[in-house]
Amino acid sequence: MFSLLYRMVRDRALAEDLAQETFVKVLNGLASYRAEFKFSSWIFKIANNAAIDHLRKRDLDTLSIDGSPHATTPDEIAATALQVDGRGEDPLQEVEARELGGAIERAIGRLRPEYRACILLRHVEGHSYEEIARILDLPLGTVKTYIHRARNELRTHLEDRRE
Amino acid sequence: MTASLQHLTADEIEQWAVGLLGASRAIHLAQCADCFAAAERERKFFRDLAQLARLAPAADFADKVMAQVRIPAPSGGFERR
Repeated sequence: MFSLLYRMVRDRALAEDLAQETFVKVLNGLASYRAEFKFSSWIFKIANNAAIDHLRKRDLDTLSIDGSPHATTPDEIAATALQVDGRGEDPLQEVEARELGGAIERAIGRLRPEYRACILLRHVEGHSYEEIARILDLPLGTVKTYIHRARNELRTHLEDRRE
Repeated sequence: MTASLQHLTADEIEQWAVGLLGASRAIHLAQCADCFAAAERERKFFRDLAQLARLAPAADFADKVMAQVRIPAPSGGFERR
């Protein structure tokens, strides 16, 4: 859930605030939880709403992985930058993985928020299309369309990087 | 055109990439180089996305949350932790 928020708003401190807000709402609002809703989907729904509300208030649609646009000092930039893990087994693989991971993070950051939420919920968090539709309050067909378009945009961004 | 001759749709390629494509359509995939190449590209793309770093909040995150949670008090009402 924190990964989703962080990638949606691209600001660690802000993502922590929104994650706190989410869990406080969840824990204080357990009585309003409906059992027909998967519990994790309910949490993601609250988290995504918090992120979307924030993005609507502030123009944070297209950001860099190099830190919050609001960071002004090197310390703030370092504190708000997305950390991209290398997963290779040797140094070269690790560098390549970091480069690819960074390129994917940048490409995701360039997606519009609705597409970004769909692609993160599907491919990073592993939710089904039906769960994503419930989390985002969107028709199933819309979710499929958004994910299809988001993938195409990601591929285009990643191909641009290779050229 | 029979099912085994029809190229895979985008949905079917995704099903294959996550291991859910039915056997009858998998036969086509085994015989069609174009579909197989497209499916392999999609599988790699999904794998790259799934391997993005898992991000975690600061260590004191849970304490900060619990400080704001209302705990039912034995005397009724709520108290903060």
